[in-house]
Amino acid sequence: MLEIADLEVAFETRMGHVKVVSDFSLSVARGECVGIVGESGAGKTQALLAVMGLLPRGARVSGSARLQGEELLGRGAGALDEFRGARIAMIFQDPLTALTPHMRVGDQIAEVLVRHRRLSWSAGRERALELLRAVHIADAERRLRQYPHELSGGMRQRVMIAMALACEPDVLIADEPTTALDVTVQAQILALLAELKRTRGMSLVLVTHDLGVIAGLADRVAVMYAGRLVEQGTARAVLKAPRHPYTRALLDSMPRLDVPSSEPLRAIRGQPPDPRALPAGCAFHPRCDLAADLCRSARPRLRPTGDGMVACHRPLGAAAGEEGPTS
Amino acid sequence: MFRYAVRRCVGMLPTLFVIVTLAFFVIRLAPGGPFDEEQTLPPEVKANLEAAYGLDRPLHEQYLRYVAGLLRGDFGPSFRMRDVGVSELIARGLPVSLTLGVSALLLALLVGIPLGVLAALRERSITDHGVTLLSSLAIALPAFVSGPLLALVFGLYLDVLPVAGWESGQPRYLVLPVVTLALPMIAYVARLTRGSLIEVMRASFVRTARAKGIPESQVIRRHALRPALLPVVSYLGPAAAFAVTGSLVVETVFGLPGTGRYLVQGAINRDYTLVMGMIVVYGSLTLLCNLLADLIYGWLDPRVRYE
Ligand SMILES: Nc1ncnc2c1ncn2[C@@H]1O[C@H](COP(=O)(O)OP(=O)(O)OP(=O)(O)O)[C@@H](O)[C@H]1O
Ligand code: SF4
Ligand SMILES: [Mg+2]
Repeated sequence: MLEIADLEVAFETRMGHVKVVSDFSLSVARGECVGIVGESGAGKTQALLAVMGLLPRGARVSGSARLQGEELLGRGAGALDEFRGARIAMIFQDPLTALTPHMRVGDQIAEVLVRHRRLSWSAGRERALELLRAVHIADAERRLRQYPHELSGGMRQRVMIAMALACEPDVLIADEPTTALDVTVQAQILALLAELKRTRGMSLVLVTHDLGVIAGLADRVAVMYAGRLVEQGTARAVLKAPRHPYTRALLDSMPRLDVPSSEPLRAIRGQPPDPRALPAGCAFHPRCDLAADLCRSARPRLRPTGDGMVACHRPLGAAAGEEGPTS
Repeated sequence: MFRYAVRRCVGMLPTLFVIVTLAFFVIRLAPGGPFDEEQTLPPEVKANLEAAYGLDRPLHEQYLRYVAGLLRGDFGPSFRMRDVGVSELIARGLPVSLTLGVSALLLALLVGIPLGVLAALRERSITDHGVTLLSSLAIALPAFVSGPLLALVFGLYLDVLPVAGWESGQPRYLVLPVVTLALPMIAYVARLTRGSLIEVMRASFVRTARAKGIPESQVIRRHALRPALLPVVSYLGPAAAFAVTGSLVVETVFGLPGTGRYLVQGAINRDYTLVMGMIVVYGSLTLLCNLLADLIYGWLDPRVRYE
């Protein structure tokens, strides 16, 4: 469905060329949910914005992102507009700032349909009402005529989802859709996403900080560190037996709703690296307990392990055959 | 909204009252009086004149009389222009000044906003730099320089427009004064629009609109422009004040029979009532413009609540 290959994102800044995403490859099958995790600044958002063609002007993008075989990267905004909102949609972290403050939410939803389905505005609004009901907004008729600031955070995110679903896209990208919401609302929104994925067979790319969310929703998971994928595999396998020390550390540092915590949480020591000055070799080595000499000089490449991929010289739980070259 | 407007209008009265009171006493602080400079005036004539206009009374009594007159809508007699009331002078000059000021404001919006949008969308292009440069120039040039300059070029050199006069407001006579008055305002409006549109174009909701596949021209018109215009609307109040002070100069430069010269002459002659009348008129106009700006602001931004 969606095939991202060798994606690279760099910014031209006053301090020079800064790569924030490198060698990013990911494929998402029809109806599949792929979770992307990683610390703040890992490049998750920039990678996905690049796919949507939504990066600010100074950004340089290379690589490829194909939606059902059709290349998205390198198209002018005009040609991309045929895809955006119709076949691939994105929802964002903060649903207050992501909605236009002076437009009624019904109109904002209708706008997508007017654009892509050539509906009239009144037909678009009628359809918007159905969509609001589909995302379980109570009192939908009244909400339709309200402005974003008159809705709660949870409702705003439902509006965003309704807007994204309006044209029944093949792929929905959700960038931390629940981070700005309180816990009970988070659970409701996630349940809604799970329901929509199930009932509509939509592919879902879900960025989250919450591994519990991954466990509940994702079929596969991709772990990013310093702009690169460091591990990838089925959600079950990665959560149960992570191969990359960073994934392990992430798991240990995050509260999880799905498993009772026996041990206290351990923060990952050190800071995520500055993309302007990445450590040589494995970018994680300054924070890694297993770091060896090789880790400081050679960057580990993403290699298949079991049913997934890992980029580490000394992957955890490695059987003798697939151990890294250092041991 | 209507009730809010009415309430705001009523709320303007205390402000006006303070303006009147302050102005009344501050003017009296200035040395000299309306009948001082004419040395030919024998002292007893001067005393008679002062008595006739009530200037021999204690100051607080004069003040009370003036305010009482205002409440009846009477601005009092002019001290220097014999036989004309200030109300009459205002009625004569105000249409001219209002035409000038309102036209200049409209021109500033009609030209300044598109210029600002153009510069913002072509950020750091030649167009953008050109707009920035010209606007700096327009802001730096005072009307008593730009006015004669325009008159020289278009009136004398190219000989396409009249350089002075009013001729009951014929458009041809309006062009140069309106443009002179509007130039700095065009520049401000263009700058404000440019800056805020650049900022709004980076906003999250603009990204959402693009993610929906909305073509860029509609993203700008439907999503970005309204919030981008909010700072321009906030500028309307100060712009009105600018138009008022600017019109004093422009009316003088182009010999227009507006109210501006009354204020100038009135101040020079210590024509107390005339100056006071002008202050009341200009003060009310400025307050009204601020109210108008607030109402437009609320119309553009539904988050503003009138209470
Ligand atoms: N316009 C820009 N110019 C230069 N660097 C940028 C720009 N935008 C983002 N970056 C950098 O790109 C890196 C990746 O940012 P990104 O937003 O993708 O992180 P993220 O993984 O989404 O983090 P979070 O979990 O906080 O959302 C960060 O180090 C950030 O500083
Ligand atoms: S490559 Fe070395 S430093 Fe990097 S994660 Fe693996 S063991 Fe740690
Ligand atoms: Mg992010």
